[in-house]
Amino acid sequence: MKNKLSFWVITSVLSIFVIYALINTVLIPALSKNPLPKATVQIKDEKGKTGKVENINPKDDTIPDSLVSHNSKDAKMKLFELRKREVLLHSRLTLANEDSMYLVLDLINNIAILEMKGVSLHECRIIDSNISNSIKMYQTETLLNWMAEPFTVKHVEATIPKIVFIEKIAPKDTIEANKVQVEPAMPKLGDVYIVMDFDRNLRLVISQTEKPDAEGKKLISDLRWKYQRIEIKRTLQSFIKFNREPAMPQIDIVLPKSDATILYKALPLNPKMILRM
Amino acid sequence: MEIEEKNERPFLNVIKWTIPVLLFCLLVLMILFTPSFQNIAFKVKSLFSGSLASETTSLVGIEKLELRSQRNINSIEMKLEKLKPVKPYIVVNTTENRFSLRNANGDTIRTGACSTGKNELLIAGNKKIVFKTPKGMFAVQNKQEDRPWIKPDWAFIEDGLPIPSARSASRIDYSMLGDYALSIGDGYMLHGTLYQRFLGLPVTHGCVRLGDKDLEVIYHTLSKGSKVFIY
Repeated sequence: MKNKLSFWVITSVLSIFVIYALINTVLIPALSKNPLPKATVQIKDEKGKTGKVENINPKDDTIPDSLVSHNSKDAKMKLFELRKREVLLHSRLTLANEDSMYLVLDLINNIAILEMKGVSLHECRIIDSNISNSIKMYQTETLLNWMAEPFTVKHVEATIPKIVFIEKIAPKDTIEANKVQVEPAMPKLGDVYIVMDFDRNLRLVISQTEKPDAEGKKLISDLRWKYQRIEIKRTLQSFIKFNREPAMPQIDIVLPKSDATILYKALPLNPKMILRM
Repeated sequence: MEIEEKNERPFLNVIKWTIPVLLFCLLVLMILFTPSFQNIAFKVKSLFSGSLASETTSLVGIEKLELRSQRNINSIEMKLEKLKPVKPYIVVNTTENRFSLRNANGDTIRTGACSTGKNELLIAGNKKIVFKTPKGMFAVQNKQEDRPWIKPDWAFIEDGLPIPSARSASRIDYSMLGDYALSIGDGYMLHGTLYQRFLGLPVTHGCVRLGDKDLEVIYHTLSKGSKVFIY
């Protein structure tokens, strides 16, 4: 009898907790909150006016046959794709006018491009990628407004250093100088795992195709655990405060180790990125 | 009959207690992997609300917006095209110590190994000298054949030699830069090297060293004002 009672008490309490956790940490953030905040710059036409149908030149009323769609859904889809392209090009132009290198993440062709002044400096194939459903689900103005301007890195952590300086004390004389001379060698490439948190709630995770060595494995799992701990803390806090925000929309890409290293080392401290998807 | 029931009890008990255990596991998983659970929830949400919402309602409105977008795209593409180099240019990869010489269309003419900065910090008393290749976009400022190298102070400090006067003849080295040198500003150059075996390794004090044949092609392809991209 006692056993039966304890069973029902424990099961009931756990059920309530599970339902509460499900509603509070999963359903409400996913159903009621928009994880893609708007860019401050809204999509404008090239003449600087905010786009409205009424602003269009009357001459444009003559629509070429090729542009007339007979199906409203197709037409909307075509317009959406055009506007996505417009947004991408606009961001590319903005960054090409700046003096820094930037990253173009083309998730349609699976290419990551390091660019400067509109010139592609380094291109690499994205071996694998994964986009959060919280981004993929939007095929609307929300997505366009989110992508309307380049993303800027707010915080970055990686298992490899951006630059390593070897410190050398100047020799006192030529004898000492000859002694310290060593045969140059290519620096060892460490295992790569990079987490870039951008403005407008986007996280880019870059990992390598190659299997990491023991040291790399530890560094990578430490970094992963660090970010997972933050989410666990947020979840636990939300049990009391009832304010769980959706997890940061995330794009995971897998690159060859050498390419990931090149991109990371070449990009400035707070790099910008354009997303094509 | 009673004996049978008694025998079944432990088994039923185990099954019964798996329910709270499973619930507990689910709760723990939900706490540990909230983002994954949310991801599933977003997927489910998208299945029920997969609409292409747009501020436009009429087909004509859409087509006008299409035209405007197309016009904007063409205009931006023209602007982007104008930003691209009009002359051949060179791209230097400092991580892999490789270069790529390209024509004005962006097609690669020649690739090869080079040597870039060794990322060293030389400490001489209070002085700290950094040997690294700067990154960014530069332009060829001048081109010279058989240019002598005027050794800066750090060259003497590094070799443990006393620093001579600014006009001392010991500062001039006629062979170090090879046959050609292209200056890109701030004392940095693309030049030849005596140490061909180190090509592909980061060994320089900041300049970009090239192999003799590569350097000759680069020297004759790039002109004053040609862009040099270093990343």
